[in-house]
Amino acid sequence: MKLACLIAMVIGSLTGLGAQTQNTAPSPWQQPAAALAEQAAAILGPGQAHLTIRNLSTISTDQIPSIRRLLTQELKARGVIASGAESANVLRVTLSENARERLWVAEVVEGDETRVAMVRLDPGRAQQPQSASGLTLLKQTVLATGGQVLAALEAPNGLVLVEPEEIVILVQTPDGWHEQKRVGMGQTRALTRDPRAVIYPSNDATGFEVYTPGTACTGAYQPETGWTIHCRESDDPWPIAQFIVQPDPNNGAASIKAFYNAARNYFTGVITPNVNLELPPFYTAVPFPRPAGIALLIGGIDGKVQLLESAPLKTITGTRDWGSDFAALQTGCGPGAQIIASGSGEASNDSLRAYELPAKEAIPASAPLAMDGTVTALASSHDSKSLIAIVRSATNQYEVDRVTASCN
Amino acid sequence: MLRQVAISCFIAVLALPAVARTRPHFGGTLRVEVQGDAFESSNGLILGLLMDGLTRIGIDGNPQPALAVRWTSENNDHRWQFWLRPGVQFRNGWPLTSEAVAASLTQSCPTNCPWKAVHALGTSLVFTSDFPVPSLPSMLAENQFLIQLTDAGDGKHPPCCVGTGPFQLAQGLPLSLVANENYWGGRPFVDKVEIVTHRSVRDQWLDLSVGRADLVEVPAEELRQAQQQHLTVVSSPPVTLLALAVSDSSLLSNPNLRSAIALAVDRSALSNVIFQKQGEVTASMLPGALTGYSFLFPTDRDLNKAHEVRGGLNTPPLTLAAENNPIMQLAAQRLALNLHEAGFNVQVANAATVLHKDLALLQLTLASSQPQAALESMLRSVGVVTPVVENTPAGLYKTEREFLGTHTLIPLLYLPRAFAISGRVRDLRLSPDGSPILAGVSLEDAQ
Repeated sequence: MKLACLIAMVIGSLTGLGAQTQNTAPSPWQQPAAALAEQAAAILGPGQAHLTIRNLSTISTDQIPSIRRLLTQELKARGVIASGAESANVLRVTLSENARERLWVAEVVEGDETRVAMVRLDPGRAQQPQSASGLTLLKQTVLATGGQVLAALEAPNGLVLVEPEEIVILVQTPDGWHEQKRVGMGQTRALTRDPRAVIYPSNDATGFEVYTPGTACTGAYQPETGWTIHCRESDDPWPIAQFIVQPDPNNGAASIKAFYNAARNYFTGVITPNVNLELPPFYTAVPFPRPAGIALLIGGIDGKVQLLESAPLKTITGTRDWGSDFAALQTGCGPGAQIIASGSGEASNDSLRAYELPAKEAIPASAPLAMDGTVTALASSHDSKSLIAIVRSATNQYEVDRVTASCN
Repeated sequence: MLRQVAISCFIAVLALPAVARTRPHFGGTLRVEVQGDAFESSNGLILGLLMDGLTRIGIDGNPQPALAVRWTSENNDHRWQFWLRPGVQFRNGWPLTSEAVAASLTQSCPTNCPWKAVHALGTSLVFTSDFPVPSLPSMLAENQFLIQLTDAGDGKHPPCCVGTGPFQLAQGLPLSLVANENYWGGRPFVDKVEIVTHRSVRDQWLDLSVGRADLVEVPAEELRQAQQQHLTVVSSPPVTLLALAVSDSSLLSNPNLRSAIALAVDRSALSNVIFQKQGEVTASMLPGALTGYSFLFPTDRDLNKAHEVRGGLNTPPLTLAAENNPIMQLAAQRLALNLHEAGFNVQVANAATVLHKDLALLQLTLASSQPQAALESMLRSVGVVTPVVENTPAGLYKTEREFLGTHTLIPLLYLPRAFAISGRVRDLRLSPDGSPILAGVSLEDAQ
């Protein structure tokens, strides 16, 4: 139910086209008003009471008249007439809230005695407006979960999540995502803080390959037997260029792999095949089409973004606001492909933004797309036409978001 | 309004760590300075770095696996079983066993425990109790129940704090901790934490300003000044309850006298004058941001009613004990003045040296952001083992009202806990009790 709600909510914000549904739903205050009236009437019994309402919550003051109206109606239906100040009984309603939920409290004052009734409400959730200029990035939440997610892949036969110690297969059902299989990766050593993983589709696109520090796994799907997953200890280099934006069978970019420092959170700088160039340790390396062919864009742990096109490495400017994660997206807009980089700016949450690299400077190509937390991983899909972003919220909830782009 | 501000602050503090321009860097030394003893169990920084609990409280306020990976309850929460995380070792290399955990818990909680018995069962721990303990997983995250080695193998107690935590004590001075490379939760980002203790706040701020410290304390009453000095401050929601404990024996055994004291205290003056408006005035044990019902406990002073309730009863001079630091002594003097106006003669004394006390000014820590566990913990800290069976706002309110109705504890103010950090420090989060989570901190200039 929760998943379905979240997906529905985000689908609403996905298009960013300003489509608004007509609000024909009953008032959200109907049920709590009835519940509070029920409890208050049980204390008061039939008769009159002077009703006062105080708002200590974030509920907008323009909502108070309708809440008062609902309370009055519900009380009346239970034999309690809201009267003037001359009544001997007082019903003092306070609309309050705490960090988790709203709380409506009724203090029933009869003479010297005060009795209390309470009703809890789900917190309201503000809608975040989105605006964009130029190329527009769009976000759709695929999944929201309480467990930590390191990487995710939308496979034809399900959604594959890489958690710190397990691989989880989810399948879509009418009720939302349903966990089909969960397999431990059997790591023998503790994961680092800020653990990372990558997941790629297998060559036939029906299975997957997962790399985490010290462990590699493969998953295969057969219609008859379902998913089979095998893991092994591995210090093998991780593929960093499994998919390229404009595949070119002659340049070999698809086979680039990099050694990952399993005790830290970055790649060592050693890649295979050897490029006869000393690379710095890096967080991210992304193949990207350039006029001369596929280049590798490298995000170093020193914060520099450099382009491996031909020796020496070229420093890319205009990346001051980039985070450690970026990926290539084939949008078909402008030059056809853009880099999508995470960044936080002055905001509390990260954002994603598209950039183009006509020369050695990154040029913004879209407005920032606000994410609901910190982007902890970013990876291109198999066709580079969408990205999967893993986002950790301030409350340590994780979202798997699909990011696409539309040309303006 | 105050509640809304408090909730906004709470959200703001939670949101703060979400800022992450780049991935955190490993390495470097984090330099920390504190006023008190870093080994204190309530507000000390160190114990939680050296040791783990069976559980920990997540940022959402719910208990999360720590040394225990899962748990179940039976018999209406009278029996709990916790399964240990495999492959964890103490600092000395000894494996974490259920026997060692049971011994640690027995040592750390000899009386007034939220359980009747704890014993090892295979790789699990079994807790039993005469009353339901629905919030036991949350309570086991408290500092009091951190797990340490209690037997060095020769029947003797090992030195302090041989735990499984993210850091290990290093030899020599200054007091320093080094990263546990094999920590089950992931090696901390910094290599080392150096802690200078018993440093005045002024000296701490000076060291921060000249680059000799990375993380220093900001007492609640200094928050305004820290802002004026443009320090980068990370502040918790209200987590420290300033409360007046009232003895219900001898001089104050008459409940009317205790009630008169409760009516006579002037919380607003305490907040405005002593704590520079940085506290949240409260007459409830849990802060409003946690429950939403704290307004049901009136905070206003009613001196006329205090006189009326006292009914002309006179008491000999009362002793009010307070911690021997300027701000607590000042607050105690202010309360003594309040009570004098209600007809009580109160003398302020140093809590560390006074032999008899009728009143005590306490600082109680909100140990959990889960209301039920927080209330039970707070009650336990004042010697009341009362399970809060009904985990609803109404149930919590009922428990608070019944206990506070005895007027043996008079909540006064909720205060935040705050730290100022240097520009090198990234991703500092505060735990639900306001202590900094140093294992998650990284340094901007580390490589």
